[in-house]
Amino acid sequence: MATITTERPRTTPEQAAHARKQRVRRQRLAPILYIGPAFLAIALIIGYPVFNAIGTSFLNASLLAPGQDTFAGLDNFTALFGDPTFWLVMGRTLTWAGAALIVQVGLGLVIANTLNKRLFARGAVRTTLIVPWVVPTVLVALIWRFLLDPVSGPINGLLRDTGLWENPPVWLADTRFVLPVLVLISAWKWTPFTAVILLAGMQQIPPEQHEAAMMDGANAWQRFRNVTVPGIRTSLALVTLTTISGAINNFNGIWLFTRGGPVGATEILTTMAYRTAFIEFDFGRAAAISVIIFVMMMAVAVVYFYVVEGRKGDKR
Amino acid sequence: MSIVDETLPARRKSPTRPRRRERRYASPGAHAVAVLLLLGTLLPFAWMVLSSFKTPQELNGVDKSLFPSGLYLGNYEKIADTNFFTYFANSVIVAAATTTIALLLAILAGYGFARFTFIGNRGMLLIVVAAQMFPAVMLAIPLFITVKTLGLLDSLVGLILVYVSFALPFCIWLMRNYFMAVPVETEEAAFIDGCSRFRALWQVVLPPALPGVMAAAVFTIIQVWEEFLYANTFIDTDAKRTLSVGLNSLIGEFTTDWGRLLAAGVLVMIPVLAIFGYLQRYVTQIAGGGVKG
Repeated sequence: MATITTERPRTTPEQAAHARKQRVRRQRLAPILYIGPAFLAIALIIGYPVFNAIGTSFLNASLLAPGQDTFAGLDNFTALFGDPTFWLVMGRTLTWAGAALIVQVGLGLVIANTLNKRLFARGAVRTTLIVPWVVPTVLVALIWRFLLDPVSGPINGLLRDTGLWENPPVWLADTRFVLPVLVLISAWKWTPFTAVILLAGMQQIPPEQHEAAMMDGANAWQRFRNVTVPGIRTSLALVTLTTISGAINNFNGIWLFTRGGPVGATEILTTMAYRTAFIEFDFGRAAAISVIIFVMMMAVAVVYFYVVEGRKGDKR
Repeated sequence: MSIVDETLPARRKSPTRPRRRERRYASPGAHAVAVLLLLGTLLPFAWMVLSSFKTPQELNGVDKSLFPSGLYLGNYEKIADTNFFTYFANSVIVAAATTTIALLLAILAGYGFARFTFIGNRGMLLIVVAAQMFPAVMLAIPLFITVKTLGLLDSLVGLILVYVSFALPFCIWLMRNYFMAVPVETEEAAFIDGCSRFRALWQVVLPPALPGVMAAAVFTIIQVWEEFLYANTFIDTDAKRTLSVGLNSLIGEFTTDWGRLLAAGVLVMIPVLAIFGYLQRYVTQIAGGGVKG
């Protein structure tokens, strides 16, 4: 950028030096002016609370007794680690994330691979398939709670009328079925997002690669397995990251359906933290749970960057 | 991680690739899969819309039928007894304010990061990913206290402040990528013509990056409509509830009155679809280009 000043014809050297100094000073200030406001907002609303949450996890803190926090050391953590319910919930959270990963990436691959073909009205199909992703979870909850309703819901009605299942369960109140059902509903909402990322990856693969494979006599499955999947490794890694972190962080996808019930059958770490904080008012322990979630997220992120870094230089 | 060229709106075709290929549709099998996926996506929505016009008898299985007997509007009339439209207006206010403020800040910061780079691509991406990954529940407690200290508990302003901050990292990143794709020469030309940097940003650099602004706007709007946790925690007064929280409380209140709830659901869906239909190509850009690292 400094080149501009040197090419001006009619300035004396002193003037040029002065202008340059002024410009340098302005340039030093400029980044602060541009980035400062956003930085302040993020620091106040995200940065400070992150440190505060970590701090609170070492306190005896309750909403009911404000200003009377006492230092608790690792008590909140040791209490959690000694609580069998915590380990049950931890295990369920991991199951929930693993199931989400399998269902959403599997289904996402099917959707992306279908949309990557020359479909009739492909644009319209793609647009339609994304709709569940842009709809708020509360609406998803309304729709599916209705569809699964034991009296008015069409799903149980259909099962009864066709005689497939004489006495279908109350899906969201049955401890055997509720978690898998929520996994599927979450997948219904979030898979479109997965599919769009995977599709973007697939569209980066030069068509020549598919044509070459076709010439060599590869069938559709072989082409998918040997051309498409290796071609979208980066997208797959990203989707794995977003799906796992999204599932571990998911709150709406459970709370708006069952609030973690029935009898705790769908309680995961996020709903447990929320319940501990805002229903039992034990801020310290809730903060400890959320710090554990945070550590899990960071572990996922570190693995992701390690994997992507390990392939740095590779072209997708 | 060549984000920049992928987020560029107009994808240039490589010269080696012939512009028009043989137009041949995929196999019937692929189309069958597509039809199945479409049904799986659309049937739940269709069922909601159809059922919202059913009478209570039809809904409760006394007069069972696939289609409503007529255009029964009683369910929609019953919405007026609730605070639904207040929730709706609150959500519109919060979404509009959040999007405007977040975009203004993100344009400034995105430009700052694009032109006075001190953080590289990877560092930037790391921060954005980290910010996206903070457990919302973790920040709920300290944010509750922060918002309370600011005196913004039970106020839409508090919500807007929180939502802006959460939308910012991703919006900044998106804007930065679009600004990096705008050649520096265009604004240097403007400087020579005596234009200040600030004016050059709005008049020269921003127009070609407008698709990025739209994508960031869509991202922010979707997030605001989705958000439940903070809205539920920070707002006490019923008349200040947003749609997510309000609709959820209606679901709790009218558990068996599905007609009324479904009618409300249809009304929630309409603006979402209107915005989405208008801006859908930017939606794919968020997921396909923006998130993509």
